[in-house]
Amino acid sequence: MKKIIVFATLASATAFLVQHPAPMAQAEETGTVHSITLPTIPPHLKEGAGKDKVMTLCAICHTPDYIPMQPRLPAKTWEGEVHKMIKVFGAPINEEDAKTISSYLAAQYGTGEK
Amino acid sequence: MKSRFLSRRDFLKTASSIGMVTALGGIPVDLFASEGKLVRFPEKTDLILLTSRPPQLETPKHFFKELITPNEALFVRWHIANIPTSVDLRTWRIKIGGNTERSFELSMDDLKALPKVTYTAVIQCAGNGRGLFNPRVPGGQWGNGAMGNVTWGGVRLKDILAKAGVKGDSVEVSFNGLDSGPLPTVPDLVKALPVDKALEEDNIIAYEMNGKQLTMLNGFPARLVVPGWYASYWVKALSDVTVLSKPLETFWMNPAYRIPANPCACVPPGTTPGKSVPINRMNTRSLIIEPSQGNRLPMGKEVTISGLAFSGGYGIKDVIVSVDGGKTWKEARLGKDLGKYSWVLWSLPWKPPQKGKYTLMARATDSIGESQPLDSLWNPAGYMRNNIEKVDVTVG
Repeated sequence: MKKIIVFATLASATAFLVQHPAPMAQAEETGTVHSITLPTIPPHLKEGAGKDKVMTLCAICHTPDYIPMQPRLPAKTWEGEVHKMIKVFGAPINEEDAKTISSYLAAQYGTGEK
Repeated sequence: MKSRFLSRRDFLKTASSIGMVTALGGIPVDLFASEGKLVRFPEKTDLILLTSRPPQLETPKHFFKELITPNEALFVRWHIANIPTSVDLRTWRIKIGGNTERSFELSMDDLKALPKVTYTAVIQCAGNGRGLFNPRVPGGQWGNGAMGNVTWGGVRLKDILAKAGVKGDSVEVSFNGLDSGPLPTVPDLVKALPVDKALEEDNIIAYEMNGKQLTMLNGFPARLVVPGWYASYWVKALSDVTVLSKPLETFWMNPAYRIPANPCACVPPGTTPGKSVPINRMNTRSLIIEPSQGNRLPMGKEVTISGLAFSGGYGIKDVIVSVDGGKTWKEARLGKDLGKYSWVLWSLPWKPPQKGKYTLMARATDSIGESQPLDSLWNPAGYMRNNIEKVDVTVG
């Protein structure tokens, strides 16, 4: 009986640890190795048609939080930004997805100008 | 340091409540970023989040009351997402070579065996204050917290280049760090200095900030320090120093980090510059730290207007302050002088004569006479903001 209780306690403790891992050391010094663990901060984007493409394609290279950080920009400027990502940085975005992303940006973060 | 106008708690409350307020046209009213989005990254205190991947973190305003910016408060700015998060000093080396007589590698022990140089220098992002540009421009929307004043320790770049033997036909020296793009197509962040600039006395490869090892996010194990020049050249987690016989023409040199090729580095708002040059030396700036935009000050009581000032490597000769929107000016008292690359804190006691609204302004001049324009200069990338800033307060 006692053994079972001990087992049960251990099991629940293990379950607790799995659900609530000890906070990882943010910076560590092990011998000659200096390491940090970067936090993951989920982006906050407005809902709208094309958001899924932004969340998958733009996020290959950077947090989509780059978008809400910007001032409101004309549709043409947003389109230019998307093309810069493709031409200069080699973002694997096809023409159709580029249009979808540009439309989302202009609709959600645009000035209303073309 | 105790605030002369508000308790720290009140200051934070005020900062976060007014920071988000924007004037017509979406230009922020406050010169410093809102403290609404504070995050804590490794080896850092609570900083203002711009982006998390790659990390771009801004220093909250209250740290600018200090002569030296603490390591944990210094701003963070990376360009491409794969940033170093673990470095083993047993294997880390800086490779020196290119158009040189010899090529070799330096370990941290090698660096520490060379003569050490220490000085205090302002580090400032080229886009510091970009969020205040009118008309607004795309890019990292920094308030004025992408700057800091740090005591750097390291070895002279020119000593290392002398060991390598720079060949006579060299034109530039390039610097690469451990960061890389998340895709092979993303241009690597490599920056180049003209060879004459690279050989100047005061450039160092720094392995210490404020007497401690560099924080990972500020360029551990070592970074380039080009005092007086914008931080885009201060390559972090340095891995390669390469002497070049032809100018580097990659994305981060051209078209990125270019300014209009004229003395003001400016063009009429909304227009595109014809000829451009790589960004280089910093211009002269002064910023009022206290009081803050929108503060209400007590009537009949002496208060202190205070702030900081710095230049592109020529110290600060004087700072003048106006409380009447620029009609009359008075010289501020300058604080401790830590050398020509450091910022200086300044202050001016002021007893408001009557109730009402006042526009405070401060203007710095450096030792070669370079000062600040009254109106903000504009360029499409949002670089080099240095106009005389205004802080509106109400008395009574």
